Amino acid sequence: MTPGHLGAACAAVLRRDLLLAWRRRGDVAMPVLYALIVGTLFPFAIGPEPALLARIAAGVVLVTVLLSILLSLDGLFRADIEDGSMEQLMLAPQPLAMLVGMKMLAHWITAALPLIVVAPVLASMLHFPATAIPVLILALALATPLLSVLGAVLVALAGGARRSGMLLALMLLPLCVPVVIFAAGAVSAAQQGLPWAAPMAWLGAGLALAVVLGPLACAAALRIAMDS
Amino acid sequence: MANWVPLWLHRLGSPPVFYRFAGAVRPWALGLAIALGAVALYGGLFVAPADYQQGDAYRIIFIHVPSAWMSLFIYGAMALAAFIGLVWRIKLAETVAMASAPIGAAFTLITLATGSLWGKPMWGTWWTWDARLTSELVLLFIYLGIIGLHHAFEDRRQGARAASFLVLIGAVNVPIVHFSVNWWNTLHQGATVRLLGPSHIDASMIWPLLTMMAATKCYYVSSLFARVRADLVVAEGGKGWVRDLALDDAKDAPA
Repeated sequence: MTPGHLGAACAAVLRRDLLLAWRRRGDVAMPVLYALIVGTLFPFAIGPEPALLARIAAGVVLVTVLLSILLSLDGLFRADIEDGSMEQLMLAPQPLAMLVGMKMLAHWITAALPLIVVAPVLASMLHFPATAIPVLILALALATPLLSVLGAVLVALAGGARRSGMLLALMLLPLCVPVVIFAAGAVSAAQQGLPWAAPMAWLGAGLALAVVLGPLACAAALRIAMDS
Repeated sequence: MANWVPLWLHRLGSPPVFYRFAGAVRPWALGLAIALGAVALYGGLFVAPADYQQGDAYRIIFIHVPSAWMSLFIYGAMALAAFIGLVWRIKLAETVAMASAPIGAAFTLITLATGSLWGKPMWGTWWTWDARLTSELVLLFIYLGIIGLHHAFEDRRQGARAASFLVLIGAVNVPIVHFSVNWWNTLHQGATVRLLGPSHIDASMIWPLLTMMAATKCYYVSSLFARVRADLVVAEGGKGWVRDLALDDAKDAPA
C-alpha cells in the first residue's frame, strides 16, 4: 500500500492504538478484572442457590460487560486530545470518520474482546447452562461493538467537558436499553429452549446501522468538541 | 408577496428582535394557558361523567395524557431546533433547543408521577415494568443527559452545540427504545385517542382533554420564551442592545 492511501492511514491508526494498548497491558486487564469481581458479588448479594443464579446469569453478565465497557470508554480520546494527535487526525487528508472508526475497532479489540473471552467463565460460575453458552457469546459479539460505537460517539461529545465520567454513564446507559433488551432476550430464549433468531437479528440490524452511522457521528461530535 | 414570511423569520433569528417579540407574546401565551387550563380542569373534574369501569379515578387522564403528549412534542420541537442550530449555526435555535430541555423533562416527570398515582388504584401498584412507563422513564434519563451535557462545558455555545448533537442522537434512538421496550413487555392500555380513525372515548371526555392539550402548548410557549429571553441576555451580555435594555430599565425604575 502506498503511504497516504486511505488503507495505509487506517492501518497505521489501528497499529498505533493496538501498540499503545499493548505497551500498557495492565490497563487492558482492568475491565476484565472489574467484570469478574462485580459478577462474583452477585452470589454474595442474593444467595448461592444454583436455580436462582442460573435464572439471572445472562442478565448479570450482560450488565457487567456493559459497565466494564463504560469504564474503559472514559479515556478513549482523552490522551489524543491532550497531546494534540487528535488535531493531526482532523487535519489529515483522509476522512476523519474512517480514522475514528479504526480507533473504535482498536477499542473493541482491546476492551471488549477480552470480556467476551471471560464471559463464559463468569456465566458458568453463575450456573448458566453450558448448552446456551454459544448463544451468549454470539449475543456479546454483536452487542459489544454496538456499545463501543455508541459509547465512542458520546465520549467524543463529552471530550471538551470538565468532568465526563458520571456524565458519560448518564448519557450512554439510556441509549443502551435496546441493546440490553435484545441481547438478554436472545440469551434467555436460548436458555429456555425457545427460538432466539429474531432478537439476534434485531441486534445484528442495530449493529449494521451503528457501524455505518457511528463513525460519521463520532467525527462530527469530535469536531464540535474540539471547536474552541 | 409571499416573500415576507422568510424575511420575517430571518429577522426573528436576530436576538434583539426575538427578545422583544418573545416579551410581547409571552404574557398572552401565559394568560391563554391559565384560562384554557382552568376551563379544561372544570370540564374534566366536574362536567365530564365518571367512567363506568374506572369511576372517578380516570380523571387524572386530563393531566396525565396531555403531559405525555407534551413530553414527546417538546422532544420533537427540541430536535428540530437542534437540527436547525447545528446545520445553519443559528445561535437562537441552539438557545431554543437548550431552553426546551428542562420543560420537556418537567412534563416527563409529571407524566411519570401522575401515571404512578393512577396505577395504584387501577393496577394495584405504584410502578410496574410496563413498556410505556419504561420508555417514558428512559426519555426522562435522555432529557437529563442532555441537560447535564449542556452544563458540563465552560463555553456555553460549545455546550449547546454538543448537547444539540446529543438531542439528534436521542431522536434516532427514542423510537428504537420505544419499539424494543414494547417488544419486551406491555400491560398499558392501548391508545384511546387517535389521529386517524375513530377514538375510543366519549365526546364529553375528549373536549377537556383537547383543551388541556392546547393549554399545555401555550404554557410551553410562555415558559420557553421566558427562558430564552433570560438566556439571550446572559449570552449577549456584552452587546449594545443589552446595555441599552439595562440603561432603559435603570431609567424607568423609581429612584
